[in-house]
Amino acid sequence: MKKIAILIAITSFFIFASGEAQAQCKQQRVYQCARKGGNAIYLRDFNTKLRAVRSERSINGTKWPVVLNRGTRYRFILCSPSGHSNDVKLTLFDSKHPEMRPWNSTEKSGRNMFDFICKRSGVYYVSIRFKQGKGRRKTCAVGILSFVGKNQ
Amino acid sequence: MIKKLIFIISVIIVFASCGGGGDDATITGPDTQDTSRAVQIDPAKINGLIESFPSPIEMAATIEDMKVPYSKKHLVPTDVANDFDSNFEKALGLGMLSADLGYLNVYNRKNAIVEYLTSIKRLADALDVDQFFEFQTLKRLATNSNNLDSLMFLSVTSYHDMDEHLRKTRRSNLSALMITGVWTEGQYLACKVNQFKRDTTTEEIIAGQKDIVKELLSVLEFFDNKPKFKKMNDQFRELLKLYDTVEIKVVEGEDKISYTQDSIQVIEPGEHTEIIYTEENLNKIENKIIKIRNNLISL
Repeated sequence: MKKIAILIAITSFFIFASGEAQAQCKQQRVYQCARKGGNAIYLRDFNTKLRAVRSERSINGTKWPVVLNRGTRYRFILCSPSGHSNDVKLTLFDSKHPEMRPWNSTEKSGRNMFDFICKRSGVYYVSIRFKQGKGRRKTCAVGILSFVGKNQ
Repeated sequence: MIKKLIFIISVIIVFASCGGGGDDATITGPDTQDTSRAVQIDPAKINGLIESFPSPIEMAATIEDMKVPYSKKHLVPTDVANDFDSNFEKALGLGMLSADLGYLNVYNRKNAIVEYLTSIKRLADALDVDQFFEFQTLKRLATNSNNLDSLMFLSVTSYHDMDEHLRKTRRSNLSALMITGVWTEGQYLACKVNQFKRDTTTEEIIAGQKDIVKELLSVLEFFDNKPKFKKMNDQFRELLKLYDTVEIKVVEGEDKISYTQDSIQVIEPGEHTEIIYTEENLNKIENKIIKIRNNLISL
């Protein structure tokens, strides 16, 4: 009977723990992250779970397409739970400037936010991934896109 | 004993699997009141296209940033919205009213906000996405609080949550209508602003939508086999034809990097576009957008 109880406990742990690993950041974190943009107006968020990296080659994370409008200045902000703030990066790229040679990233800019003045309307991409060599533990991360103003 | 064990583990697996919400393998797009044949489409492609579309607040933020005076007369009247009866009209209306709510939010018009929230709630109820529209909280924020940030944040996240739920529940057709409503209403407001006071910035916003209209149409054409979509898409195809007269020229240049007072890095790409159009052609585009929007609210 004891063996059965242990087996059930282990099975439950793996099933429910894997469910938790899929959890995105909570709404409160998204809101707090959006507020970091100062006067910029929140437009949308990119909320993702990041599974622990199992090998050097695995690329964890998510990418989202986003239409940006010419002449608008946007702000991109990245937030992750404490203890992970240096592990994750947000990257802005498009088909001409692929993810390996992006327009910008929080890693390149050296801060967890940067502004982008869009000079060509169209579809861009935002990705959130672990930085190279990081990601031993799973986490969540939130990216915020906000409107700073028209660049007239 | 083994049987008991298998039974218990099976129960755990069944309960655990109930919370899952992975991507669907295929999406069908039946409008519940429009029972034409369901379309089998690539879910990743259409979801990606829909997901990429601008937030309902973006055009309003742009208009407000340009110091254009507030005017409620160009918004969809809520009594008109109350007459939307098919799911097709309701989903379009949900997008349009969300864009209007964005407009009211950036201009901080609390009384009108409550009126529009009430109409949106009615549409959300009918489309069975009301659980993602936090009406009571939004209403409380609009009436009793000066926390405009929270109100705008919750309005926008509610819109995105409703849109996401529609896509997850294989109702991408309604989701496509929501983004159509947001885009059309946003551009309608831009056209009205430009008619009120012509300005190069506004003109370029409208003329610069050429590629966005192509993207929008590529989403809508997934549903071309539905009569209501076909009729609406024909109008957008006519609009796209008018955009043929607009030339978008890519010009190379050096990227610029600067820093704000708060040390935020600012990237300004050197590569930019020049939008070439004539006033006559832009007038035709504006008139077409206005006509499409007015047709859509009088369906």
